[in-house]
Amino acid sequence: MLKQEVLQEFMAVVGPERCKNSKEDLLTYGYDACIYEYVPDAVLFPKSAQEISDIMKVASARNVFVTPRGAGSGLGGEALAKQGGVVVCFTMMNRILEINTANRYAVLEPGVVIAEFQSAVEKLGLFYPPDPGSSGVATMGGAIAMNAGGMRGVKYGVTRDYVLGLEIVLPSGDVMMTGTVTTKDVTGYDLTRLICGSEGTLALVSKINVRLLPKPKTKRTMQAVYNSIDDAGTTVSKIIEAGIIPATLELMDKTIIKALEEFSHLGLPLDAEAVLLVDVDGDPETVERQAALVADFCRNHGAREVRLSASEKENEQLWFARRSAFGAVARLRPTCMIEDATVPVSFLTSAIKKIIEICEQNRVEVAVLAHAGDGNLHPLILCDARDKDEMERVEKAMDEIVDYALSVGGTLSGEHGIGITKSKYLPKQLSETSLRMMRAIKKTFDPLGILNPGSFLE
Amino acid sequence: MIAEKLREEVHNCIKCGLCINKCPVYKQLYFEGASPRGKVQLIKKILEGKLEPSEHFQRLLSTCLLCETCTVNCPSGLNLDRLLKAMRAEITEKFGLPWQKRAMFHLLSGDRLLPFCLFWGRTVGNPLRSLLPKGKKLGTIPYDRLPLLNSKPLLSQYPEIIPGDGSQAGRVLYFVGCATNYLFENVGRSVINVLRRLGVEVIIPKDQMCCGLPIYLSGALKTALKNIRKNLEIFNPSDVDAVIVDCASCGAAIKKEYAHILEDVGENAEAARALGQKVMDISQYLSRFDLGKFLGPIQGKVTYHDPCHLVRSQGVKEDPRRLLKSIPALEFVEMEGADVCCGGGGSFQVEHPEVASGITGNKVRAVMETGANMVASGCPGCRLQIYGNLETDGIQVVHPVELVAKSMGCE
Repeated sequence: MLKQEVLQEFMAVVGPERCKNSKEDLLTYGYDACIYEYVPDAVLFPKSAQEISDIMKVASARNVFVTPRGAGSGLGGEALAKQGGVVVCFTMMNRILEINTANRYAVLEPGVVIAEFQSAVEKLGLFYPPDPGSSGVATMGGAIAMNAGGMRGVKYGVTRDYVLGLEIVLPSGDVMMTGTVTTKDVTGYDLTRLICGSEGTLALVSKINVRLLPKPKTKRTMQAVYNSIDDAGTTVSKIIEAGIIPATLELMDKTIIKALEEFSHLGLPLDAEAVLLVDVDGDPETVERQAALVADFCRNHGAREVRLSASEKENEQLWFARRSAFGAVARLRPTCMIEDATVPVSFLTSAIKKIIEICEQNRVEVAVLAHAGDGNLHPLILCDARDKDEMERVEKAMDEIVDYALSVGGTLSGEHGIGITKSKYLPKQLSETSLRMMRAIKKTFDPLGILNPGSFLE
Repeated sequence: MIAEKLREEVHNCIKCGLCINKCPVYKQLYFEGASPRGKVQLIKKILEGKLEPSEHFQRLLSTCLLCETCTVNCPSGLNLDRLLKAMRAEITEKFGLPWQKRAMFHLLSGDRLLPFCLFWGRTVGNPLRSLLPKGKKLGTIPYDRLPLLNSKPLLSQYPEIIPGDGSQAGRVLYFVGCATNYLFENVGRSVINVLRRLGVEVIIPKDQMCCGLPIYLSGALKTALKNIRKNLEIFNPSDVDAVIVDCASCGAAIKKEYAHILEDVGENAEAARALGQKVMDISQYLSRFDLGKFLGPIQGKVTYHDPCHLVRSQGVKEDPRRLLKSIPALEFVEMEGADVCCGGGGSFQVEHPEVASGITGNKVRAVMETGANMVASGCPGCRLQIYGNLETDGIQVVHPVELVAKSMGCE
């Protein structure tokens, strides 16, 4: 529990309106989108780097744990106050400070919602590609902390590939800049990319510089419908192998299709075993050519039908439905444990088979979703958190999925992060030396260990 | 008492958060307790016995417009608005309502008191309004932009049965909401005149009551139930084409909420469902007719605001637009965010004026940007809120049916 005098000191920084500590408010900052809950002692909403710095000075002086948080859509407890203390929430610090069309970059505060940022730059003919499923709620600060990936990873990469520079506040309260606004920059260690993906354990981000692209002129969305999920998986590996780079290449199985159809009523093929949702984008001629190529590939590898969207509106509806997949499966079972182990893309088909097999053996229900183009699997394990026995089986299945992914040269987590849900697996992938280096980095940034304690390195 | 189905649904909130940034209230306040997900999670704690409902919780629960944006966007299929309404009702039993609300609902549910008050309101209130201090507001609405009371309630201006002109083209029951009855008589006249011109016989059951929705939405369940039972008794939909409503909220109430409310308290909802199936917004009903030969030109530019209770509760989006577009010479222009709540939310704008004025500010800006000189919207609440916050007399706020009547020359 926070001492009253310490609370007063925090309140003096942000004012009483932006310091919440009623029981109700604290409970609503005790969760994110995973199943664990940790209730903080207070929630602070800074609006400037100065305020963040002042908060950290109080925290350092009073030895109070601080956990940064965006919109709370994370899937691994990264933004939860695992050992109590204060949550510093960035949702009220949400201005886009500059969109520079001449040099194609933007400067923004961490609380800006990703989708709102994307539509702001698109109005100016620019494009910010990283596109996690939660872009309608997740903040840019959260995306930086988690190095968010998403649907367009296969062509455009992830958040890390677009961050040019950051203003950060260290746990001591010191404010510093990393990087610049130029695309090329080799001055010193690349601290920008160290912070990006550090899960809020090294510093608090107070300002973000990102690179922008020209907006692709056209886009086409296709649905390839399959009677066999193996064929869908093989198509993906073959498309990538052939050097075709679609903007998105998403795979969903029949369970996902059913849940999405119940939610969106778009006429998705309920009798299909799998659907690939493919976007190609670029100049009109390129799109035309690529679309035909992709459609042929799908048909030649077992797609029974390739549907083209009739309009931009239909595209939007399809992608809106896809973004809702995580929520939509709650129609089937109340709890969803989402895995995101990632394999080299040529292993996609065998990975999907293996996952289904593992889940059958452990008698748990699974729905398979994947950012297939980059081998990023999202098996959704459907369960009910109230059923202890079932949850034990779920955990065992998840252990086995992770082991499999690592055995073929994959990774524990492609984009959701380690947090608390995957920290126990960390030694399976990282060597003792690697972990020691990471702990040394953590110690350098946060000698007192007050920033986001209980995170993956502990 | 929160119905079992709703209690179970709470566990289906997977906390994905997709409702959060769609919520107009959250987008003013930016903290979780103001968001739909936050409220659902608190209700879950209460149902699990881990949180005692407090007045602070009641306050958080009141930071909701009940605009249903979260409900239609919830991928997990939670009936969020029903859950929040049920929780409001439960907590009202515990903490009661402020006296202003109690007094108002007492009026709306009584059949003698309201006409009595309105008589004095008209004879004393309307002249008095001009004496009210300038610059003072009811919530976000300056006193001098509040509407005047009708000279006589609409219900006492017309006989119970109004035959259509010429050969009979239809027969409807007309549910006259409180707003039309007491404030916006021109809407009621337009409905009646247009229908009559089209050859539709209009029956206006005399003893009809307030639909009960504003009462229920503030959590006064028992009072609302009285109105619902009475209206179900009076409106027998069996030998008419439709039950016509000109108010989005009354329409939502009778079409959907009556059955929900009765089910939730464990009463038989058969009659409510039968009535609900016959309910039609006036814009929907008029879409059955070929209006072409009746319509004359109106000069000007109109934009349309979707009332929450029409677009989300009833799924009516295209009919009013089609009506407006069919009027010769009238230019139709879509505004940005036409289906975003206006910020009124019944008594919300009085309880949370700062939040409401932020939301309404966005709406007013969107209206201004279209350059339209008319905003059409089939909801008296939206009309009050938008007109009340427009800082210009250059833009009229009207019901689509008023423009149809004008175009038909039967205002």
